Amino acid sequence: MNAQAQEFDAIDREAAAWVDRMNRPLHDAEVAAEFDRWIMADPRHVESYARFQALWQSGGLRHGLEVAQADPEGFALAGEGEAPDWEVPNRARQAWKQFAGFAAVALCLVGLASLGARALVSETSYAAARGAARDVLLADGSKVRMSGGTQMNVRITPWSREVSLQNGEAFFDVAHENLRTFTVNTGTSRVTVLGTAFDIDMVDRETRVVRVYRGLVSVDAGAGRQWRLPAGNGIEVGGGRVRSLGEVRGDHPGWIDGWFDADDTSVQQLVQRLNRGSRLPVVLDDPALGSLPVTGRFQTSDPEMVLEALAAIHDLQWRKETSRYVLLR
Amino acid sequence: MDRPAAPSQDWNAVSTTLLRYLRARGARPDLADDVAQETLARLIALSQTRQIGSLFALAFRIADNLIVDAGRREKRQFGEVDEEWESDDPSLDRVLDSRRALDVLSRCLRAMPPLRREVLIRRRLNQESCRAIGEDLSMSAKAVEKHITRGLLDLRAALERAGVSVMGIGE
Repeated sequence: MNAQAQEFDAIDREAAAWVDRMNRPLHDAEVAAEFDRWIMADPRHVESYARFQALWQSGGLRHGLEVAQADPEGFALAGEGEAPDWEVPNRARQAWKQFAGFAAVALCLVGLASLGARALVSETSYAAARGAARDVLLADGSKVRMSGGTQMNVRITPWSREVSLQNGEAFFDVAHENLRTFTVNTGTSRVTVLGTAFDIDMVDRETRVVRVYRGLVSVDAGAGRQWRLPAGNGIEVGGGRVRSLGEVRGDHPGWIDGWFDADDTSVQQLVQRLNRGSRLPVVLDDPALGSLPVTGRFQTSDPEMVLEALAAIHDLQWRKETSRYVLLR
Repeated sequence: MDRPAAPSQDWNAVSTTLLRYLRARGARPDLADDVAQETLARLIALSQTRQIGSLFALAFRIADNLIVDAGRREKRQFGEVDEEWESDDPSLDRVLDSRRALDVLSRCLRAMPPLRREVLIRRRLNQESCRAIGEDLSMSAKAVEKHITRGLLDLRAALERAGVSVMGIGE
C-alpha cells in the first residue's frame, strides 16, 4: 500500500481533519475561531471541506462501513489492496440495512446555549390527559402517540433529538436521519435510534418495556447493560431483571387500538394500562393481587370486560363504585 | 475576523461562502440558494442576541439540516425522486450513494489497516466519541482523529482513482 502514501493536497488534508472535529456539538472557542479563519482564508478551503463533509455523511460510506462491520472475518482474511472481483455481499448488505438505524453510544451532548444557538433549540413539553391518547408531530417529522396520562419533554437541536419520558407509555415512529440520533430517556434506561418505530412503557419506577416494530434500537440500562433489539422483539428491564418478550407483531402496539397483549404479565401492569384509558380508575382491594400473572389479549378500551376476564381467570370479584372500580377476592 | 459574531460581520462574504459550501456539497443550485438564504437569516438573528462560537460550523450545520428537511419534503410531495431528474443533474450525494461508489468505498475500507477501519466504524456508525474509541483501542484521542482524517483521505482518493468524481459535480 505504498502507493497510498501519495501526495495529498495540503488543503484536502486540512479539510479532512476539520470534518470530524466540526461535526461535534461543542467546540473550544479557540478551535472555533481557527476554523472560521481557515474557512475565510481561501475559497478552496470551503469547497474541499464541503466535499469531505458530503463523503462523511454519505449513504455510500455508511453502507460500506456496515458491510465491514457485518463481516469482519471476510475483511480480516483479505490481503492488502488486491481483490478486484470483490463484490459487496448482497445478503449482508440487506441484513445490515435494517441495522442502519442503530447508533450504539449516545452522543455526549452539552447544552447548545454556549454556542449561542438557543433559538435553534426547540424544547417542548407534552402531556396527554388521563383517559385520552394524544398524537404529537415533532419538529423533525417524527410522530409520537402518547397513551393517556403520559408526559414527556422533547428537545431538538441541530445536533440531536432527545425525548425525556416522565411516565406512561408512548409509541414512537421516528423520522430517519443520517446523523442525528433520536434518544428517549426514561430515567433508568435510554433507547437510542436513528429512525425506527418502537413503544416504551414505563411500567413502574424502574420497570421499562420496550417493543420494536421497525428497524433496530439500542436499549441502555446503565452500568454497561446494553441490548440491541431488532424489529419484532421486546424486552422488559427493571430491578436488575431482564426478560425477553415474545414475538412483537404488527406495525404498532395493540394499545393504540385499545388492546393489550399480556404475556405472563402482572395484574398490576394490566390494571395500570387499563387506568391510562379508563375514565374510572381501577384499584386493587389487596395490593397482593397485583402480582398475579395473566396471559392473553385484553380489550383495555372496555375496563368492565377486562375486570370480568380477570375475575374469571383468578376467581376474583369486582364492583363498580361511584368514582372507581374495585377488584377484590 | 477576531470576533466572528460581531455586528460588523461581513454577511456578504458569509453568504458567498455558504453558497460555495452548498454547491460543493452537491446541493441543486435552486435548493442551494434557498437554503443559503434561510441559513443566513437564522444566523443574523442569532448573532444579534448571542455570542456564536464558530459561525461557519453553525452555518454549515444549519444548512445540512435544512437540506435533510428539504429532501424529506420532496419525498413526501413527489414520492421517490424521478429518474429523469436524477440523470439530468446527479448531485454529489446521489453519486456517493450509487452502487459503484459503494463498491469502491468498500474495497478501500477492506484494504485499509484494520485499526483505521475499526475507528471509522465506531465513529461514523456508532457515533462513539474519539475519547471513548481511544480508551477502547488503547490510543490517544489525537491518534483516533488522525485515523479518521487519513481514512477520509484514503476513501476520497479511492473514489478519484476509480473515476467516481467528487470534484465539482454540477459546476
